[in-house]
Amino acid sequence: MNAFFSGLLRLRRTPWENLATVLIALGVVMLMQPFALILFTWSFPVTLVGTVMFIITSHFPE
Amino acid sequence: MSFSITEPSPRQKWIAGTLVIAYALLTLIPLLWIIATGFKTPSDAIAYPPKVIFSPSLEGYVNLFTSRSRVTPEDLAALGPPTTWYDAIVRQYDMVITGPSRYGERFLNSVIIGFGSTFLSVFLGTIAAYAFSRFKVPLKDDLLFFILSTRMMPPIAVAIPIFLMYRQLGLSDTHLGMIFLYTAVNLSLSVWLLKGFIDEIPIEYEEAALIDGYTRFQAFYKIVLPQAATGIASTAIFCLIFAWNEYAFAALLTSGTAQTAPPFIPTIIGTGGKDWPAVAAGATLFLVPIMVFTILLRKHLLRGITFGAVRK
Amino acid sequence: MSEPMARRIASATPSGLAHRIRGLSDRTIAWLFVAPTIFLLLAVNIFPLIWTIRLSLTDFRTNRPNNPVKFVGIENYKKILTDVDTWTSLQSTAHFLIWTIVLQVLIGFTLAYLINKKFRGNDLWTTLIVLPMMLSPAVVGNFWTFLYQPQIGLFNYFIEFFSGTDPASFSMIGEVNLAPWAIVIVDTWMWTPFVMLICLAGLRSIPSSIYEAAECDRASKWRQFWTITIPMVLPFLMLAVLFRGIENFKMFDLVVQLTGGGPGSTTQLVSIDLKREAFEKWRTGYASAYAVILFVTVFGLASIYVKALNKVKDR
Repeated sequence: MNAFFSGLLRLRRTPWENLATVLIALGVVMLMQPFALILFTWSFPVTLVGTVMFIITSHFPE
Repeated sequence: MSFSITEPSPRQKWIAGTLVIAYALLTLIPLLWIIATGFKTPSDAIAYPPKVIFSPSLEGYVNLFTSRSRVTPEDLAALGPPTTWYDAIVRQYDMVITGPSRYGERFLNSVIIGFGSTFLSVFLGTIAAYAFSRFKVPLKDDLLFFILSTRMMPPIAVAIPIFLMYRQLGLSDTHLGMIFLYTAVNLSLSVWLLKGFIDEIPIEYEEAALIDGYTRFQAFYKIVLPQAATGIASTAIFCLIFAWNEYAFAALLTSGTAQTAPPFIPTIIGTGGKDWPAVAAGATLFLVPIMVFTILLRKHLLRGITFGAVRK
Repeated sequence: MSEPMARRIASATPSGLAHRIRGLSDRTIAWLFVAPTIFLLLAVNIFPLIWTIRLSLTDFRTNRPNNPVKFVGIENYKKILTDVDTWTSLQSTAHFLIWTIVLQVLIGFTLAYLINKKFRGNDLWTTLIVLPMMLSPAVVGNFWTFLYQPQIGLFNYFIEFFSGTDPASFSMIGEVNLAPWAIVIVDTWMWTPFVMLICLAGLRSIPSSIYEAAECDRASKWRQFWTITIPMVLPFLMLAVLFRGIENFKMFDLVVQLTGGGPGSTTQLVSIDLKREAFEKWRTGYASAYAVILFVTVFGLASIYVKALNKVKDR
């Protein structure tokens, strides 16, 4: 866990990419879940942030 | 290896074989049913219980290729005896052939657009894949990802702007417009697949050729192209299959002149209800070439469906 | 085919030009080779994409091109993301997605596992199993409506044969509670071979020495399966699941031919919903925003997919 946070702070690729992956997955789940409309409403912003983050952070050094 | 402890026993093999064959037979039933229905008469096609044994008829194929109209028995009698076998089939139903149907045209459109876009995407894909494989292209990974991601886009979403753009450019419902569109969609596949194939050709051959005084171009078409021939051929078949099967763009962007067979076949109707033997006949003629291609491709199937990532 | 083609290209190139081309540096050749691809993709993908984003901020309607176009900001996005019908479409898509993936992974993996036992003739049967996947989904989907016909359909006959249910008493594509399963069945029939092929590649990539070592350690078959087979196949399985997930998220041709989204809107997947908005109601601005939402979702999933792809590639 510590390595994960220090990786984030030092702008390393792997932890950021994993974070972005989680956000995208979360957004997709929110988009299609049948439980709460509010989650559906906010799904797109979450996916968008995740996707943009993924594109940017995949250029960070390993 | 003579004997290995991990080798399955004959009994295990027998059980595995039986189960797989059972699944294969079950999964083939719908396909065999398409082919069989094409050779049934309309009444046999909708018989219950479904007829497995039936006397074959070419009615479905005759109906597929012709348009017919009903005439009164007196007019029919005035026409004299039928001159051809297909006339005879049609006249059993008090009908006469009035001309060819549009199926031939649609099929031809599929062929033109399929082959045109395949040629273009394989040509462009080969040179791009060569460059990606052998040279330092700036932003290589981003470009490759961008190329692949274009394949993933939902066709309906892409179709909205394409529809507007093509209308302005006069490309809607034209062969050329569809060829460009399918080429663009297939490029991702052909670049990724061919890059895999070209990566596998040892670079030493080219280096030797370059030392022998070949230029890059000569090395490309005299050394790389012949070695990539199987790869190029299988990529071409994959591109052709995609263009052949594509439905969403064709249904939205073509209606008359450039309509391909997939949106057309479901619209085949007979007099009074759907003419299932004709639909099945159209589907059979359309699907069988792809079945043959699939069998030819079996060694490269896995590569094709994973964009060259999994090579077996 | 390539050798004569290359020769033709070579001989068709005028000698002066050929000379000049031959003298080109690698860098120039690289650009010359990549540029047409990039250009075509820019013209057919990126330019329209930017156009879509622009349209998504307006209330443009294709069927009324002469109306003044009003800039509405993110109004369209707000409308879509609070619309209960759209939400319902996405839930139908989720139902379709989850069940097709579960069934295809279970059946596909089992088949791959069995084929990997290398019984006689396994190549032939593998090829035959793969056939449905290569065929046109629209044409095949259309024919499945015939198999699903109540009273005369082959599918209903099978159900009668095995369970005794009256074949005229149910219609797979005509009933609200059956139609979502009708599309799951056809998609599973069609795409299980895809998962099977990828799992098979995963199974074949496991070196037998690992099993031999496990055998020496007296690990049970069951344990070997869970500690060797499953973890080694997992990256491949991820790849298959992601790919099927993306494909079925945007599913259109098969389902539109099977059910057309009906009955009611029970099988109205997102792509079908989007098609209605864009090409039947002609609410272009609204549909563009809808398209952008799907774009971003698929793009996000695609980046995860490429990550998974690279993981498998290293093997």
